Amino acid sequence: MARKAKRDLTVEEQLARGPVDLPLLMLTMLLLGVGLIMVLSASYATAYYDPKTDSPLAYAIAQARFALLGVAVMYGVSRFNYQYLRVLSVPMLVGAAILLVMVLTPLGVTLNGATRWLKLLLVAGPTFQPSEIAKIAVILFFAARLSKRDSIKKKKWNRRTRLGRTLAWLDKVGFLELVPYGVVLIIIAALLLKEPHLSGTILVMAGGAAVLFAAGVKMYWFVLGGTVAVAGMAIIVKFTPYMTSRIQLWLDPWSDSLGKGYQTIQSLYSIGSGGLLGLGLGKSRQKFLFLPESENDFIFSVAVEELGLVGGVLILGLFMMFILRGYWIALHARDRFGALTAVGITTLFAVQVFLNIGVVTNLIPNTGISLPFFSYGGTALIIQLAEVGIMLSISRQIPAPKQD
Amino acid sequence: MAQQNERRERRERQERTSKQLIFRRTVMLMVIFGMLTFIPLGWKLWDVAIVHHEEYQLRQLQQSTRDVEVKSSRGMIRDAKGNIMAMSATVYNLILSPLDLINGFDQKDYKNADGTPDVQAYEAAIRQRRDMITDKVCAVLDLDRETVSKRMEYTWSQYEVLKKNVEGEQAEELRAFIADNKLGYSLVMTPTTKRYYPLSSVASHVVGFVNDSGGAYGVEAAYEDVLEGVSGRVVTSKTGAGTEIYNSYSNYVDAVNGNDITLTLDSNIQRMAEQTLAAGIEKYDIRNGGICLVMEPKTGAMLAMASSPNYDLNHYGTIYDEVLNQQAAALKEQKYQELKSQNLKDEDGKPLTEEELRKKASSAAVSDALNRQWRNKVLNDTYEPGSTFKSMVLAAALETGAVSESDTFYCPGYYVVSGRRISCHDHSGHGSQTLAEAVQNSCNPAFMMIGQKLGAEAFYDYFEAFGLKSKTGIDLPGEATGLVWSRDYFTSAEGYQSLATASFGQRFTVSPLQLLTAVSATVNGGYLMQPYVLQSVSDASGNIIRQTEPTVVRQVISEQTSRQAAEILESVVSEGTGRNAYVAGYRIGGKTGTAEGEVGVKDEEIVSFVGFAPANDPQVIVLLYFDTPGRNVSGSKYGSTGYYISGGQMAAPMAGQLIADVLDYMGVERQYTQEEANAADVSVPKVVGYDLTTAQAALKRKNLTCRTVGQGDVVTGQIPAVGATIPGNSTVILYMGEETPTDQVIVPDLSGLTYDQAKKKLNDLGLYLRASGVSYYSAVTKAQDQSVGPGETVDRGTVIPVRFVDTSVTDSFTPLE
Repeated sequence: MARKAKRDLTVEEQLARGPVDLPLLMLTMLLLGVGLIMVLSASYATAYYDPKTDSPLAYAIAQARFALLGVAVMYGVSRFNYQYLRVLSVPMLVGAAILLVMVLTPLGVTLNGATRWLKLLLVAGPTFQPSEIAKIAVILFFAARLSKRDSIKKKKWNRRTRLGRTLAWLDKVGFLELVPYGVVLIIIAALLLKEPHLSGTILVMAGGAAVLFAAGVKMYWFVLGGTVAVAGMAIIVKFTPYMTSRIQLWLDPWSDSLGKGYQTIQSLYSIGSGGLLGLGLGKSRQKFLFLPESENDFIFSVAVEELGLVGGVLILGLFMMFILRGYWIALHARDRFGALTAVGITTLFAVQVFLNIGVVTNLIPNTGISLPFFSYGGTALIIQLAEVGIMLSISRQIPAPKQD
Repeated sequence: MAQQNERRERRERQERTSKQLIFRRTVMLMVIFGMLTFIPLGWKLWDVAIVHHEEYQLRQLQQSTRDVEVKSSRGMIRDAKGNIMAMSATVYNLILSPLDLINGFDQKDYKNADGTPDVQAYEAAIRQRRDMITDKVCAVLDLDRETVSKRMEYTWSQYEVLKKNVEGEQAEELRAFIADNKLGYSLVMTPTTKRYYPLSSVASHVVGFVNDSGGAYGVEAAYEDVLEGVSGRVVTSKTGAGTEIYNSYSNYVDAVNGNDITLTLDSNIQRMAEQTLAAGIEKYDIRNGGICLVMEPKTGAMLAMASSPNYDLNHYGTIYDEVLNQQAAALKEQKYQELKSQNLKDEDGKPLTEEELRKKASSAAVSDALNRQWRNKVLNDTYEPGSTFKSMVLAAALETGAVSESDTFYCPGYYVVSGRRISCHDHSGHGSQTLAEAVQNSCNPAFMMIGQKLGAEAFYDYFEAFGLKSKTGIDLPGEATGLVWSRDYFTSAEGYQSLATASFGQRFTVSPLQLLTAVSATVNGGYLMQPYVLQSVSDASGNIIRQTEPTVVRQVISEQTSRQAAEILESVVSEGTGRNAYVAGYRIGGKTGTAEGEVGVKDEEIVSFVGFAPANDPQVIVLLYFDTPGRNVSGSKYGSTGYYISGGQMAAPMAGQLIADVLDYMGVERQYTQEEANAADVSVPKVVGYDLTTAQAALKRKNLTCRTVGQGDVVTGQIPAVGATIPGNSTVILYMGEETPTDQVIVPDLSGLTYDQAKKKLNDLGLYLRASGVSYYSAVTKAQDQSVGPGETVDRGTVIPVRFVDTSVTDSFTPLE
C-alpha cells in the first residue's frame, strides 16, 4: 500500500499520524530492558539445573525473542488507529468468552493444578492465557460503550404500571445502565474462577471497575460494590477452611515453612538478604533452586536480592512513572473512548504491579500473579506490549499544545 | 431555533460536565494507583530488606551453606622396632537417600496415551530402580535383603546408612556401580577412616582403641591430641536441591594429619611377656589373670606391658579370653537370679518376662566382662606386694646403716610385736642367719627386726622416696596408687604393728608399676626413674618432633648401697627362694613374693617375682605376677595343677626364663661362672677314623667324655654326629667296629626325676640332657618341664632340654592371725 500524501488524508487519518508519547515509550523500553536482564539473571540457575534445557541461557534467549516480537507488535498496534477498536471490541469480547470456554474443554492446558492456558494453534505451539485477552477486551468494550453514555437517548418508562415505575426508579439511580456491564463481568469472572484463576478475576474486575469509575458511574455504586465485596470476602475467609489457612499462612508463613509457606519465606529471605545495596547483579543465592518461580512470579525478589533496596525502589519508581504517564495520557486523550481505554489499561498494570510486589513482600496473601515486563512468559509479555501499543496509539491523537 | 440552541447548549454543558467528571475521576485513580498504593509497597520493602535484613540473611545463609568436616588422618603407632601397631585407612560408609531416589522420577514423565498420569508406570519405574540397587548392594556387601528393601521405603529419609566401613574391592565395585548407573544423587559413599591394629592382641592394653568419640583407652587415649590431627572444613554454597556450588563463597581449610608415635615397647618382647603370662595361666590354673612388665631399669622405658585377660584390638567388643568367658557366663546366671528376685517391672507396670530378664542379665554380664577385659591391670589395679617389697626394706636399711651385711638375725619361726605373735612361713624357724641369708630365706621375723631397726619415720621416708605413695607418672591414662597408712598413724604407737607387717610387704597396696620402679631404683644405682611408653613423636614425613628423655625422679639410695642390694638379690636367685628363676649365664637377681589378693579373703593369693639381670649391670627388670592360682582343696598349699602355691614356685621359673629370653633377644652377653662354663654347650669334634687315645684326647679338649661300644682299635662311628651341640661334660658314644645304630628312640617321661636320675635315663637311650632352672642339683631339684615331650621319637644323640625346679622353696603365703 502506497503511502498517501498528506493532503489526501482525512482528519482522522491525520490525527492518527501524530507523534507517540515518548515518555511512555521510553519507560516501557526501560522496564522491558531491566526486566530482560533480571530474567537472564534469575532464570540462569533454573535453566542450568533443568534437565530439559541444554543451555543455562535458554529461558533468557526465549524471553528476548518474545520481547523483540512484542516490541514489533507494540509498534504495529501504535500505528493502528484505535478508533476502530470501538467496533472491534465487541467481537474481541465474544472471542475472549469463547476462548475462555474452550479452556474448560480438554483443549485447555493444565499446569500446577490450574487450567488457564490454550495452545496458540489449539493443538500445538506456545501457550497463552485467554484471560489476558479477556482483560483488554472487557476494558475496550466498556470504554467503547461508556464513551457514548451521554448520547444514549433516555428511555421513557410507562409510569402507569408498577413495573414501569420500578424500572424508572432503577434507571434514575443508574442501575439499569450498569446491567450489561455487570452481566459481562459476571460471565467472564465465572469462567475465570472455574479455571481457577483468582488473580485473573481480580484484574478483570479491577480493569472493568476502573473504566466504570472513570466514566462517571455514581460513586455510591462503588461504595456499595466495595462493601459487598469486603463483606463477601470476610464471610468466605471465615467459613472456608482453605481461605482461613491462606490468611493464617499470610500472617505467619513459618507455620508451614516447608509446605505452603515455603515460597513466601524464600521470597522474604531473598529480599531480606539483599539489604540496602544487594549482593550484586547475578549473585543471588536464592535463585539456586531455593526460591520457586524465581524467574517468574518472584523475579522481583531476586532483583532486590541482587540490587538491594535501592534497585527495588528504582524499579518501583519506573513503574510509578509508567502508571502516572498512563493516566496522563488518559487525561489528555482526544476523546472519551481513548481516555477510558487508557484508564483501564493503566489501572490493569497498576493493580498487577501492586499485587505482585505485595505478594513477594508478603504485604498481601499469595495469589500467584506475574510482574509486567519482568516475569518470564512470552505471550503475556506480547499482550502487555500490545496494550502499551494501544496507549501509544491513543497518545498519537492527543492534540498538540497550541503554539503562541 | 431557540429550542434548538437550548438543546445544543444543554448537550454541550452536559458534555462538558461529563468530560470534567471523567477528568476528576481519572485524577482520583491517578492519585490512588499512581501514588498511594506505592506507599505500603515501599514501607514493606523497607521492612523486609532493611529492618529484617540480618535475620533473613542469616537464615538464608544457614540454608544455603554446606559445611563439611574433612577428617584428618590419625597418626600411626609403632613399636620400638618400627612395627606398626595401629594405623588408619580410608573406608567408606554406604548411604542411601530413599527420598532422593523417588525424587529422581517425575510423575509427569509417566502418562497414558490420553495424557492422564500413569501411576502404575511411575511406580514400576521406582520399583525397578530400588530392586536394582538392592540386588547389587546385597550381592556385594552380604546384607540382609529384607532390611535393605524395607529401608528403601523410608521415603521421608535422606540418610540411611546401609553399611559402615566398606573397604577395598567392595568399595571399588560399588563406586563403579554408582557411576555407571548415575545413582550419585541417591546412593553415596562417604569416606571415613577405620583404625587397624596389625598386631591384633599384642599390647592391647597399652595401645588401646578408638571409638566414635576418639581414643578410648591406652596410648590412643593418652596421646589423642598427638594422633588426632586437626580436622579441615569445606564450606561451600549449595542449591535448594542440595547440590554443591563451587563459587567465590567456597572456603577450604585443609586438614592437618595426626603425628605418628613410636613406643618404647618392643612387640617381640611384648609377645614373650604375653606368652609367659599365658603359659603360666594355663600351667597353674590361674583364675584372675596376671601381669607381666618388662622395663629398662636405667631409663624407665617400658619394653613390655602385658596384662591378662587380653583382647583383640580389631574386635575390642568381643570377649576372647576363655576364663573371662566362663566368668561372664557365671555372672549372667547370677545377675539373672538377682534381677528375678528384684521383681522388676517395665514402663507399663507389667513384670518383665523371662526373656527380658535374661537379656538384661546378659547385657550386664557382658558389659562387666568387657570392662574387665579393657582394664589395664598394670595401671588400674593395686595389690599387696608381699615379700618382693623386702628389696626396698633391705636397701633402706643398708643405706641408713641400720643394718650391715655382717649382722645376724635369729628366727625361731615367729616374732612377737606389741604382744602379737607373727609367724614365719617356715614355722620351724630359719635359725640364725646373716643379712643375705635372711633375704634368701625371705624370713619375715628377720625383716620385722630390720624394720624396727630402721624405725617408723625412716621407713616411711623411704616408702615415699621409692615413690610408693605417688603416681609413677607414666604417660598412660588411669594410673592408680595403692592404699597406704598415713604417716601419723604409721609412726604412732598404734601403728607399730603396721611397721612390722609393712616390713614384709603386707597390709598395704601398690600398683605393679610402682613396685617395678621402686625395685628398679634399688638395683640400678639408686635412681627412681619415671616410666614411659612414648619413645618419640614424628610427623607425616618422618621428622622426629618430640623425643622422650629418661627422667630421674630422684636418687633414693647411693650407688654403693644399690650394688650391695643387687648382690644380695642375686644370691636370692642363686641360692635362695628365687632359685627357680636361675638361668645359667645370665646373673639374674630378684625377689619372690606371695601375698593375699584381697585382705582376709582366703585362697586368693597373688604369686609374684620381680627380677633383673645381669645383676652387676641391670639391662632389664621384670615383674611377673599371677592372680589366684586355682585350688582343688581350700587352704591347700598346692594348686589344682599340683604346683606349690608361691612366688618362688610359680612366678620365679617363668620369670627367669623370660629374663633369659629377653636378654638373648637384646644380645646381652652371657657371663658364666667356671662351673657353668663347664656345662656350657660344645660342638662334637670328628673322631671317626682315629684310634681311641686320639679320640679321647680330642673329646677331652672339648670337655667331653666317652664310652666305647665294641672291641676295635679304630673309631668307626660316633653318636652324636660331628658338629652336634651338646652340653659340656656329656659322654660321647664311640663305636669301635660295631655298627652304629641309626634307629630312633622314644623320649621318656622325666618329670619328678632328680638331675642324676634324668641324666642316666637319657644317656641309657643315647640321648643327652641339657638342664636348666637352678644353679645346683640336689635331691630336691626335680625335673619339671621337658622341651621334647615324652613319647616323641627322636634320633639318637638328640639333646633333650629339661627344666628343673627346687621343690624345697616354700615361700608360701603366711596368713596373719
